[in-house]
Amino acid sequence: MSFARPFLLAALLLWTGDLVAQVRSVATSDVFSRYADRVVKIQVVETGSAAKATIGSGFFVSGSGHLITNYHVISKLIHDPDRYRAELIDVAGAVEPVEVLGVDVVHDLAVLGSALRPRAHFALGSVRIAQGNRLYSLGHPEDLGLSIVEGTYNGLLPHTRHPRIHFTGSLNPGMSGGPTIAEDGRVVGINVATAGNQLSFLVPVDRAETLLDGVLTPGDEPPARTLEEVGRQLRDHQDAYLRDMFAGNTKMVDLGPYRLVTEPAPFFRCWADASRRQELPYEKVQHHCSTDDYLFIAGDQSTGVIDVEHEMISTKKLNASQFFSLYSSVFANDNTPGGQEEHVTSWACGTRNVRNASLPMRAVLCLRRYRKLGELYDGVLKVAVLGREDSGLVSTLTMSGVTFENVDRLARRYLERISWR
Amino acid sequence: MALILEVVHPGGGRSWHRLGDAPVTVGRGLANDLILDDPYVDARHARIALDDSGAPLIEDLGSVNGLIADQARVSGRVALRPGAEVRVGRTMLRFRDSDEPVSPAIADVSFVLAPAPPVVKPAVMLSRRARLRTTIAQTARTTWGRLAVVGAAASSIALYSWLGSSERSSASEALYAALAFAATVAIWAGIWAVASRVSVQRFHFIGHMAVASLVTLGGLAWTMAAEWLSFFFPDASLADVLSVGIGLFMLAALVAGHLALASGFSRTRQWRTGFAVAGAALLIGGLATLAEEDAFTDVPTFSGVVKPVGSDWLPTASVEEFSGVMATLKEQVDEMAKQ
Repeated sequence: MSFARPFLLAALLLWTGDLVAQVRSVATSDVFSRYADRVVKIQVVETGSAAKATIGSGFFVSGSGHLITNYHVISKLIHDPDRYRAELIDVAGAVEPVEVLGVDVVHDLAVLGSALRPRAHFALGSVRIAQGNRLYSLGHPEDLGLSIVEGTYNGLLPHTRHPRIHFTGSLNPGMSGGPTIAEDGRVVGINVATAGNQLSFLVPVDRAETLLDGVLTPGDEPPARTLEEVGRQLRDHQDAYLRDMFAGNTKMVDLGPYRLVTEPAPFFRCWADASRRQELPYEKVQHHCSTDDYLFIAGDQSTGVIDVEHEMISTKKLNASQFFSLYSSVFANDNTPGGQEEHVTSWACGTRNVRNASLPMRAVLCLRRYRKLGELYDGVLKVAVLGREDSGLVSTLTMSGVTFENVDRLARRYLERISWR
Repeated sequence: MALILEVVHPGGGRSWHRLGDAPVTVGRGLANDLILDDPYVDARHARIALDDSGAPLIEDLGSVNGLIADQARVSGRVALRPGAEVRVGRTMLRFRDSDEPVSPAIADVSFVLAPAPPVVKPAVMLSRRARLRTTIAQTARTTWGRLAVVGAAASSIALYSWLGSSERSSASEALYAALAFAATVAIWAGIWAVASRVSVQRFHFIGHMAVASLVTLGGLAWTMAAEWLSFFFPDASLADVLSVGIGLFMLAALVAGHLALASGFSRTRQWRTGFAVAGAALLIGGLATLAEEDAFTDVPTFSGVVKPVGSDWLPTASVEEFSGVMATLKEQVDEMAKQ
């Protein structure tokens, strides 16, 4: 269901060559020798077995031992603080325990504190940089030792809900949380994800600056540290962008005799496809919108995906009984996101024949709850429009990691907006 | 030629008595020549004797229930000839010719004692419905009747498959389904036929095919009915509960039907065995369901059946009511999350 997941998977699997940073210019080795001691390896260790559970990178941002890394590097610690501890290993090999001082789950960032007093650190501040400029990424790819990767700044991604810098360079697992800097040592972004083939992504530095400010000078609302606070961050974040989704001015698309919602927000991308195969006595047209980005929670559980899928089938050759047998099987198709017992409950589903102002339909809602992230749910609404004998429409709205109020509101709006053309 | 009296006792047992010239008294009393264990029979009920011309007759001795011949009570005497039937109380007295031929003995290859042949019940007044039932029962005993049942099941399977097919070659798919059904039923009936041959010396292969086909027909009819039920009433678990009940009944009927052909069990015992098997299935199925109930799964279950129904008479809920359904689901998953 999620498009983000194969994306991430590609990142893990496609990587084969180019492991060591390209030594193209003299400057690269200069950059490395100048800034290497500000970058550390972060590892999350299972207390019982003393085995490494996660490895990432981080970098010093203050003289008093503050570090920036990704939320997903230390997420296990947030989920299970009794079972895990985190530590840093600096360039000299010294091991030092670290604690989480604040996280931003939405932008995938965390501020860590340590007793270490680094000789030098990066100063965070907004940077202006032109597309095509050379950048250097530092980190510990696959736990192979501190490496430097040279690449190019390619601006912000156009279709994301959260800002992401498109970095053309080879990031690898383990480099997460490391800095990507300009030649002069200014931090541009924090390594966060890759889609392989030098297609990599950074979190813009100003997000890290904001989080660090929140930690250093806590105001009314100090940054989240516990799972409960992470849940609150997720809820606050979604409330803002889901408030108007599918409301009055939503874009609509016509598919056969049906009028349906499309592109719920600018950061959605939509695809359409039709299959008209000679050997099949029916036709299928698909329309699919989803967000590229998702929020990492823990393990392989991610959330924050709103996904809209319309599947229209029509026939001129099947009789009503045959067509509806096909329609039933398309409708009963399971396209709900997977999950693990550790994170979510089983699904509970309810079915009704529902009529809105325009047409009758069969509607199913399947709901499950996140076990540890309070008050967050996954909801899948499936609708099959009734009333025609030669065409049918199965429409699915997938909402992951949202509050029940949002499930309820979005599902209701979605049901109300389906109509005849 | 001598006259033979065949007594069919109320419990179904039979005994035979050769009648001579001497009168024979019939009754419950122990002083009679023929003592009948039948509460509807008087102590001294009747007497079988020869009339003045030497012809045999039976005469009522003033009993409470009298003599019944040709489904009517007769007072006084009834002349007896071979083939005559007279009822006293609930006991049937049949008069037969000693020269009457009997069928040759069945060769006993299994050395298993064959069960007694079914009891012939005394004739009673038949209502129209009962007559119809008898006709159906008789037809069901003929080979052609049984083949018709198998044919009906196979064609229903074919039709069902054709109605549910979204392939181009729906006709060949239907034919394939019918053939697959016939093959499966033949194998199933074959196993039962072997069992029948062992226990009652007859294969009854077509009969076993008919039993399996009849149950298949019932199952198919219920499958279709259940789809419609769950389409019209998606929130009611009625169809689920009924499905379990009907499924168990079908299983009991299948076992009872096969046993009727493959054993000498009485009707009651056939059904009792059938329901015992169904009960065992329910127990195993129930335990399996219980074991799985709390197991985590990321695959949702819902009724995805849609039917080509004109929307006018389809019971529908409003979007607001659907919101109520969602609230119920929330309670359910909140409860699950607590565990």
